[in-house]
Amino acid sequence: MNLRDCHNFYDFRELAKKKLPSPIFHYIDGAADDEITYRRNTNAFNDVDLVPNVLRGVENVDLSVTIFGKKLDLPFYCAPTALQRLFHYDGERAVGKAAQKFNTMFGVSALATVSVEEISSIIDTPKMFQFYFHKDRGLNDSCLERAKAAKFDVMALTVDTITGGNRERDLKTGFTSPPKLTLSSLYSFATKPMWGINYLTKGKFELPHLQDYVKEGTSTNTSIGNYFSTMLDQSMNWNDAEKLCSQWGGHFALKGVMSVEDAKKAVDIGCTGIMVSNHGGRQLDGSRSPFDQLAEIVDAVGDKIDVICEGGFQRGTHMLKALSIGAKACSGGRLYLYALAAAGQAGVERALNQYRLEIERGMKLMGCTKISELSRNNLRFRKK
Amino acid sequence: MNLSDCHNFDDFRILAKKKLPSPIFHYIDGGSDDEITLNRNTSSFNDYDLIPSVLNDVSNVDMSTTVLGEKIDFPLFPAATAMHKLYHHEGERASAKAVEKVGTIFGLSTMSTVSIEEIATINKGPKLFQLYIHKDRGLTDNLLERCKKAGFTSMCLTVDTVVAGNRERDRRTGFTTPPKLTLGSLLSFALHPGWTINHLIHEKFKLANIIHMTQKGTSIDKSVIDYINEQFDPAMNWKDAEYCVKKWNGPFALKGVMSVEDAKKAIDIGCTAIMISNHGGRQLDGSRAPLDQLSEIVDAVGDKIEVILDGGARRGTHVLKALCLGAKACSFGKGYLFALAAGGQKGVEKILENMKAEINRDMKLMGCRNLKELNRSKIIYRKN
Repeated sequence: MNLRDCHNFYDFRELAKKKLPSPIFHYIDGAADDEITYRRNTNAFNDVDLVPNVLRGVENVDLSVTIFGKKLDLPFYCAPTALQRLFHYDGERAVGKAAQKFNTMFGVSALATVSVEEISSIIDTPKMFQFYFHKDRGLNDSCLERAKAAKFDVMALTVDTITGGNRERDLKTGFTSPPKLTLSSLYSFATKPMWGINYLTKGKFELPHLQDYVKEGTSTNTSIGNYFSTMLDQSMNWNDAEKLCSQWGGHFALKGVMSVEDAKKAVDIGCTGIMVSNHGGRQLDGSRSPFDQLAEIVDAVGDKIDVICEGGFQRGTHMLKALSIGAKACSGGRLYLYALAAAGQAGVERALNQYRLEIERGMKLMGCTKISELSRNNLRFRKK
Repeated sequence: MNLSDCHNFDDFRILAKKKLPSPIFHYIDGGSDDEITLNRNTSSFNDYDLIPSVLNDVSNVDMSTTVLGEKIDFPLFPAATAMHKLYHHEGERASAKAVEKVGTIFGLSTMSTVSIEEIATINKGPKLFQLYIHKDRGLTDNLLERCKKAGFTSMCLTVDTVVAGNRERDRRTGFTTPPKLTLGSLLSFALHPGWTINHLIHEKFKLANIIHMTQKGTSIDKSVIDYINEQFDPAMNWKDAEYCVKKWNGPFALKGVMSVEDAKKAIDIGCTAIMISNHGGRQLDGSRAPLDQLSEIVDAVGDKIEVILDGGARRGTHVLKALCLGAKACSFGKGYLFALAAGGQKGVEKILENMKAEINRDMKLMGCRNLKELNRSKIIYRKN
């Protein structure tokens, strides 16, 4: 199996599984507790059916949307995800360049392995920085200042990682950052020698936004759950978010908002967007899926801020359903991470193109030529 | 296993699987993307329960109905489907003869492998022609005129194929028309020598209605996906449909209507019927199942236009459920194609006779003497 054989989400996942040492594959693939939420994030789309319209002359379809004041050519973007150089030695460089090629937003994580300065020297398309509120205030200020100086367009504060989720697969495989050889994982690293060779020869593993302030993640091995639990500030509240929002002074989003009450507060403190998200099912298992919760949120604040549906997307038609409910855009992590692991930049480009084609085909079959033509009139919820 | 062992849809499917090279079997059997819609088309019937009446003297049951201007013996007919010679060397000749014998409408596809004129000499019963609007508009006029001259009784325009669905099984098996030997499929053709020998010694595979206008799909190996995307006109709109309705000037159906809005427009342009259909789950995955959408359409336009349910019905009781909700008749594709592959003309006769006998028995068990007695009081939606 190689990249040519990847025609959908599941194919990329299979190829990634072949290429990655198992602790790293399962870090991407896994989620919290029993992974109920993780599965529901995708299954939720199947409880809603599309009702197409016909004979509308659909030879030209415009997939562009505008979020955070930026026009994107696609109605979905690459959500910020951590540690990308563990998945492919080019890491964020590969994803950023692929996102630029399709003119969509690229999200860079605070736990990124390539710096904001380097990213902004590589790509000039819209960029989002994802921020974790650390106990170390010097680190916090430095992240905001560096992202500002590097001309990032959007700041997204993640609010659903106040403590680490119980990622049991990581407990079993012993996944840490940086990766650590254990007796039980030795075999899986040894059987993927290319990964090991690339990891050792293609430049040192770094967390450039954090390592000047904290050792954890670079020179001290830590699991991601443990990092969240020990490094992030659990006293974080709405006042802190409001201060960060005004300190940033530009487009500011809260990532991980699930209740209407919180969505309204996000509007009140000056946010211009929210990501309806449960962190890909990796935090609170049993949490409602973003798609299930989307209509409630859109009805409450959809006319005031950009509501982005994040997580669970594996098909173009899934995105059409979220956009029909009223999401301004869709985002996802696994959406492109398996492809990154499978084949670096070429893999991510192929995946993004695949979803682009799926959405375009779906739009034509729905009889729609613009994203704004999608509406709830074209959806029916299955009776329960 | 042979034809005498085939008592239901699943039996015919299993026998067809034994007889056909796998790319051809999967071309019939498959749907688009994750086949969610394909599966829902049939499973939707199980969410409805029938409520029988007893002691009604059901010694004589009249299953006849009038649809598309013709009286038929029972409320089910085979949908027009493409390329019957792929499934059996006698192709549409076999299916047309079988259908005449059991007394229902025969549907002939634009993409048939036996010509309009020849079918007219074989089958003297009611005949529907299924039209695709090609980019070459001369072809549309040509087909309409030839059908009129040959005595076809009704016309249907397919409107849900402006772009090809993502049929991933075809991509994997390398299905093309005419069939092409690839390294991957070689084994499967070699293991089905009966099919392969018949295919080679009988007359050459051709798309008999359109061979004079286009060479695509006959002399060049084309996937159906490529054919649709190159030849069908995505700019097709209501004016084009209205043109066809006027030119035909007889019973006319739009096939692939799913929304109430479109059903109303179909009335406005002079259609006499619509087929609620998602193309057997082969186009837009995530599209609503015809049965799920039926009530909404019947409530809006059922008194003004004939509503035919296309897709998913595999049992007599399925047909009764659709009729209870207000469908005038049902049509089906996969069932009789498996039967054609399993046993040629005899196979198609057998599955149609089976369905007719099931409908007859089920009418008696429902305590209904004619189709008018099937109504909403006899069906209930089961809440899960």
